Amino acid sequence: MQFSRRAFLAATGAVAAPLLLPGCGFVGGGGGSGSGDADTLTFTTWGTDAELAGFRAAISAFQDANEGKRIELNAVPYEQMFTNIDAQLQAGNPPDVFRVPYYTFGAYAGQGQLLDLTPHLSEGVQDQFTETAWAAVQNGGSPFGLPHHTDTSAILYNADLLAAAGITDIPTTVEDAWTWDELSAVADQLKAALPAGTYPFAYNWQGNGVTRWLSLLFQADGAFLDTDQATPLIDSDAGRSAVEFSSSFFAEQWVPETDTTTSSTYAADSWFAGTVAMVWSGAFQIPDADTTADFEWGVTFAPRGVRRGGDFGGNALVATADTGKPELAAAFLEFVTAREQMQGFCQSASLLPTRPDLLDGSLAFDVRPELTDVFVGQASQVQPQDAAQVASPSMSGIIPVLQQELDAAFLGQDAATTVANMSQGIADATGA
Amino acid sequence: MPEPTAAPALAATRPAPAARPRRPRAETVAAYGLLAPNFGLLAVFVLVPLAGALLVSLQRTNGFGDGEFIGLGNYTRLVQDPVFWQALATTAGFTVVVTALSMALGLGLAVLMNSVLPARGLFRSVLILPMAVSGVATALIGVLVFDQNNGILDKLITAVGLPSVNWQSEPVPAFATIVLVTIWWRTGFNMLIYLAGLQGIGPDLHEAARLDGANAWQRFRHVTLPLLGPSSFFLVVLNVIYSFQVFDIVFVLTGGGPRNATNVLVTYAYDTGFVTRDQGYAAALGMVLLLLAAVFAVVQWRASRTRDLVE
Repeated sequence: MQFSRRAFLAATGAVAAPLLLPGCGFVGGGGGSGSGDADTLTFTTWGTDAELAGFRAAISAFQDANEGKRIELNAVPYEQMFTNIDAQLQAGNPPDVFRVPYYTFGAYAGQGQLLDLTPHLSEGVQDQFTETAWAAVQNGGSPFGLPHHTDTSAILYNADLLAAAGITDIPTTVEDAWTWDELSAVADQLKAALPAGTYPFAYNWQGNGVTRWLSLLFQADGAFLDTDQATPLIDSDAGRSAVEFSSSFFAEQWVPETDTTTSSTYAADSWFAGTVAMVWSGAFQIPDADTTADFEWGVTFAPRGVRRGGDFGGNALVATADTGKPELAAAFLEFVTAREQMQGFCQSASLLPTRPDLLDGSLAFDVRPELTDVFVGQASQVQPQDAAQVASPSMSGIIPVLQQELDAAFLGQDAATTVANMSQGIADATGA
Repeated sequence: MPEPTAAPALAATRPAPAARPRRPRAETVAAYGLLAPNFGLLAVFVLVPLAGALLVSLQRTNGFGDGEFIGLGNYTRLVQDPVFWQALATTAGFTVVVTALSMALGLGLAVLMNSVLPARGLFRSVLILPMAVSGVATALIGVLVFDQNNGILDKLITAVGLPSVNWQSEPVPAFATIVLVTIWWRTGFNMLIYLAGLQGIGPDLHEAARLDGANAWQRFRHVTLPLLGPSSFFLVVLNVIYSFQVFDIVFVLTGGGPRNATNVLVTYAYDTGFVTRDQGYAAALGMVLLLLAAVFAVVQWRASRTRDLVE
């Protein structure tokens, strides 16, 4: 048979096109739920090496305990995670189960994208979690996920810089945490002692971490949303107090000028570089600090204002509304959040559990285990009503409002205008 | 007026339409066959998403479920949105500065590399090297250089006794960082195109100009520059469109800050679409961007007199 060059090229093109399309992401990969296999769940997550190892161990144990069942893990970079999930949800082929930060959870639950777990969970599951963690996965009074782990910010300090400034009395119990005034005095002392270009501290509110500013609001005994998760409450004395205190970080030059909420430089980078003495940070930073920091360092508690309080960070595990395997998905979520699995995961990844039966001293991080109690103690200060606000379906609209107004406040906008603008922006976002 | 007399002569030499040889059918089919995969890909990955984006831009939607059709609501909102105008002005400013500087530098370097410079092969390679680096990696290098607290540049500046520059916390220096990093990234490409253009200009023209008494500047201005018209046209269109679409460098280097000073249209659309999840409005921003790029390409096409100029 004669085969001309044109015919060859045309045939090659025709054959190659379908092969190329999946490479472009056009055809659903392993992450889609379209397999139709009733015994296989697809699970999409991002994670550090330690987190992914934890998930793989949990999956392996689940498959051993449930013969014939399979979990297909689809690990993706965090940067792509939610653009992928959104695209898959829009296209109708989402994974059965995925991992989601608490501040993003509400956006999916509020739009009917997640499975209401109420009829699928075992009796008494709620009692296995702390009240705060349970509040963070509620939407309209029903659980739409299980709280897999949490994290909250304490203060990592450079012991060398603090010692050089004569600061040796560092709180070791949550009751003794610095008050706002004491923290201010420490910052002044550091500012006077540190060389030019080195600052007392940096705050980790960059990017979506702006929710960590809410710790100061909660410490001022304030709230940004009412219990309906829609009505703004931030235009209050507590709101103004939190804005004034955080703005003073810049006015007093306690933080680098780049420590804004929209900065492309993360607070921890300045701490690792030795240009700030202290940094607000979650426990997840411990393994990095252990290997990277070339100075002596320790951890103390976040400050207290009118009351103690902190941000409820971390992630939930959720099932998608249209999964064809709700029972299997719920069983997997329960298994992964069981005591043994959660303990292994939190210890290796330096994260905090959401189960009270792991907050009794039985948890010890694999790296720097002596720091575990500081973070567990800090997490115990997070109140359920604080965590519930962050689960608002409108958080994706509220976060840019907080970023914009806080950065304006840090540049001199007065506190009253700032909270009034925040209140208006939050109302626009929630439709209240 | 030459046309009336020229036209009949031309018509007389032109073969009658009926006599024009027709292409063999097999050749036509093969041509369409070869074009079809490209047209198919273009349709699937460009035209269909474009039509989709246009539809989304007429809705209020967060991407889930059915959006609410609001006609030109997103476009009306866009006109009243100060952040949009600021992003548009920043994008336009960035485009003008980057296009002008990177093309001027590219041209200067191309002239230099086209001369009898020792080790010019090495210099050419060094200049073209940034092209091989991805935008994100380029921006990360920029972060190392311009970081206000730990960056190399501020350390060098203060080492020689000059005051440090607030590269990240002040609007003008932050804008300068994205311009400088982009120029570093793009100048090599501009140089390459100009170099190819320069090598297409025969030495006889310069020799003739020299014999006519033109000095070096006059030869460059009146011989070299006009003959680089097609290269310049190509580069202006490409640089302007690339600059309008700038995203990775801004996203990684400044995140659009401080205070939106480096927020360009694409970073604004990204934040609106994927952070705020206001996808209808983000699609409207995208359509405006498309319109601006298309209008520019058409205007430039019609206005450029030297785009097809050859020796």
